[in-house]
Amino acid sequence: MNKKPNTITFKILETMSKIFALASGVILFFPSLNSARATALINHTMSLFTSAVSYSRLISEAIRAIRLARVAEWNFIVLYISSIIVVLGILSAVIGAAFQVGNLKFKNLASKLLFFGSIAQMIGTVGHYLGYYFMHTTSEQAFDTMPIGIYFFGIFAAITFVISLVLMIITPKAEKAEAYRMDQPMQLLVMFLPFAILAFVFNYLPLWGWRYAFFDYTAGQSITIDDFVGFKYLGQLVNNAQTRRDIGQVMINTFVMSGLGLAFSWLPMIFAMFLAEISSRRFKKFVQFFTTIPNFISWVLVFALALAMFQTDGFINGVLMQFNVIEEPIEFLRMGDTIWLQMWAWGTWKSLGWSAIIYIAAISSIDPVMYESATVDGANRFQKMRFITLPSILPTYFVLLVLQVAAILSNGMDQYLVFYNAFNKTRIQVLDLYVYKLGIDDGLIPLSTLIGMLKSLISIALLFTVNKISKLVRGESIL
Amino acid sequence: MKQRKRKIKDQKTWIDYIYDIFNHLGFLIFTLACIYPFYYLFINTISENELVQRSIINFFPIGFHLGNYIALTSVNELGQSALVTFGRTVIGTSLMVLVSAFVGYLATKKEMKARKYMYRFLIITMYFNAGIIPWYLNLSMLGLTNNFMGYILPGLIAPFNIILVKTYIESIPTELEESAFMDGAGYFRSFRSIIWPLSKPILATIAIFGAVGHWNSFIDSLILMQNAPQLFTLQHRLYTYLTSVTSLDAVINSSGGAVVQQALNAKVLKYTISMVTIIPILLVYPFMQRYFEKGIMLGAVKG
Repeated sequence: MNKKPNTITFKILETMSKIFALASGVILFFPSLNSARATALINHTMSLFTSAVSYSRLISEAIRAIRLARVAEWNFIVLYISSIIVVLGILSAVIGAAFQVGNLKFKNLASKLLFFGSIAQMIGTVGHYLGYYFMHTTSEQAFDTMPIGIYFFGIFAAITFVISLVLMIITPKAEKAEAYRMDQPMQLLVMFLPFAILAFVFNYLPLWGWRYAFFDYTAGQSITIDDFVGFKYLGQLVNNAQTRRDIGQVMINTFVMSGLGLAFSWLPMIFAMFLAEISSRRFKKFVQFFTTIPNFISWVLVFALALAMFQTDGFINGVLMQFNVIEEPIEFLRMGDTIWLQMWAWGTWKSLGWSAIIYIAAISSIDPVMYESATVDGANRFQKMRFITLPSILPTYFVLLVLQVAAILSNGMDQYLVFYNAFNKTRIQVLDLYVYKLGIDDGLIPLSTLIGMLKSLISIALLFTVNKISKLVRGESIL
Repeated sequence: MKQRKRKIKDQKTWIDYIYDIFNHLGFLIFTLACIYPFYYLFINTISENELVQRSIINFFPIGFHLGNYIALTSVNELGQSALVTFGRTVIGTSLMVLVSAFVGYLATKKEMKARKYMYRFLIITMYFNAGIIPWYLNLSMLGLTNNFMGYILPGLIAPFNIILVKTYIESIPTELEESAFMDGAGYFRSFRSIIWPLSKPILATIAIFGAVGHWNSFIDSLILMQNAPQLFTLQHRLYTYLTSVTSLDAVINSSGGAVVQQALNAKVLKYTISMVTIIPILLVYPFMQRYFEKGIMLGAVKG
């Protein structure tokens, strides 16, 4: 055990290697430090990570130039392969840095991983430089740009290389027979880390995209500090009459649709209460089985069914015309005036049976003795429903209601997108759909990001508020 | 419960009977409203196309034939979409279950360094998101647009499912694992041979709901695969058919290769493609029933 190196220098070196391995890992995701961007033909928003993941995106903007033989494709292949080598090298170095928390055997392995990782990183970076150099010398036009990322990746790799070399020398060799061992708390943490990184990349990294709300940005361009416009788009939101009118209508739609949902949020509860009144077990199962199906089909399919039932050549019109009730088909799906009610009705059709299950489960757990003693006391079935069933399931109802209030701004967009048409477009557009159409269809990234950002912030504030209220009123947290 | 009630009070008044009738009737009507559209769609796909076009088929099929389904087999883009959807459902669901199980297991380990923070770090993502545009820009930056992995990777960490698995594993007696540790097993070993087999019920639940989610997903295909029609999911494909006439015409033309007994028309084609998309859900639905009770917790769990 006395072989374990615990000197200050050793610790400093380990920490430094961790920092530089991690720094290389982080700058992988910075488009402006992409060392593979040796030419202006590579998109400004490509990070080095993307360059290694997707070759098709790497050459997407250069296809024309390649076809016209202005630039040779093998230049891009060099850049692509080098990118993969860099990414693998950094991966190895990061794993190595994590393994340093283990025993001596692990520390030996860690130094090796760092060592070879940094070598790979250097080779890849040299590859990037060669890619740039060939691009510079062989292409007819001056497509080339010296990527500054090369310096960063190169220097970081060199430092990691030196440190790992020193670590390899000063760390004593572990016995051959010694097993890989790590303290349990650390071992668990190391096992957990990859998943934390996954969550970071897919759930936290998008927050970094909020910066687009403060820059003049069009899709496919890169942003520089010159594009910074501060609160210009917030100003547009407040001052531009057209935008304000749009948002106003969208907010009305959102609140009406969510409001209808809230106003009828007791329906599943009532559904469950009345279903419990039916004595035939088979009938109950039958109802539950078939009313739950709609919950499991997508909104696209609901729309397909809606077309089948309500279009001019669909079921309702077919029946009405067959029995000569009407002469001309009714255009149900073009009734823009009633779209709020239609949307509510489809939502209810889809989810009523499913939402009732939680109440059905709650009712089945009520002690039957309560009903018996009520019967003895001469209560009729309505009184039993009112004084036994209802109070037993109300707490569940309140929890769900509170959560629904917190989600008042989030209607989701699937439903409204599929039913969207020229006749109902003003009234069907809820906040989520508006943001989508603004950002993806119209390409107004900054404004749509800003609105989405405000929505997220207000939603989280709402959630905490209702949670606080729930704590005060019922002494119970819902989160 | 009801039988015991009857013992105490058996006689029913006429009000009770009327109440029962209306109660049954109400449920019957709603149930019918829930399933009739499916039935209507189905009978229209197997009836004579000519009659379907004239909106005659409303209650029962006339002139049974399967020509419409056969005609679809020669529509390549549909087969491609089915393959993509099937692929993402199988791969995405199995990886999600694996990750949820392992992370849920790790989260039960009290001795883990910084466990509380790590676990919260994952769970908090349930309550906020950056918004759809930053989400899209992020995936675009990572190179996951027009890329099959764009369907798989973002869904690997599913906080709800992790909570469910964690809660379930906590209910397994710790003695089982301790004896494994005594025998020299590590965490991986213990997870594989003790925790994984014992938590099968909850894993089946999250698997089945995850699979339905993958099968039904549409928005991610719409946003991420804008320039890769070969990666459209089935739902996305159906959406384009339902909303644009030109894409349907292309299908009618391309399905000319198969032996078609009856002339196809846009209406019957829409119905048939919808039916093909619904059928897998209807097939697994009966087997999902027993997971409902656990499944409802998916929406109502505490962190």
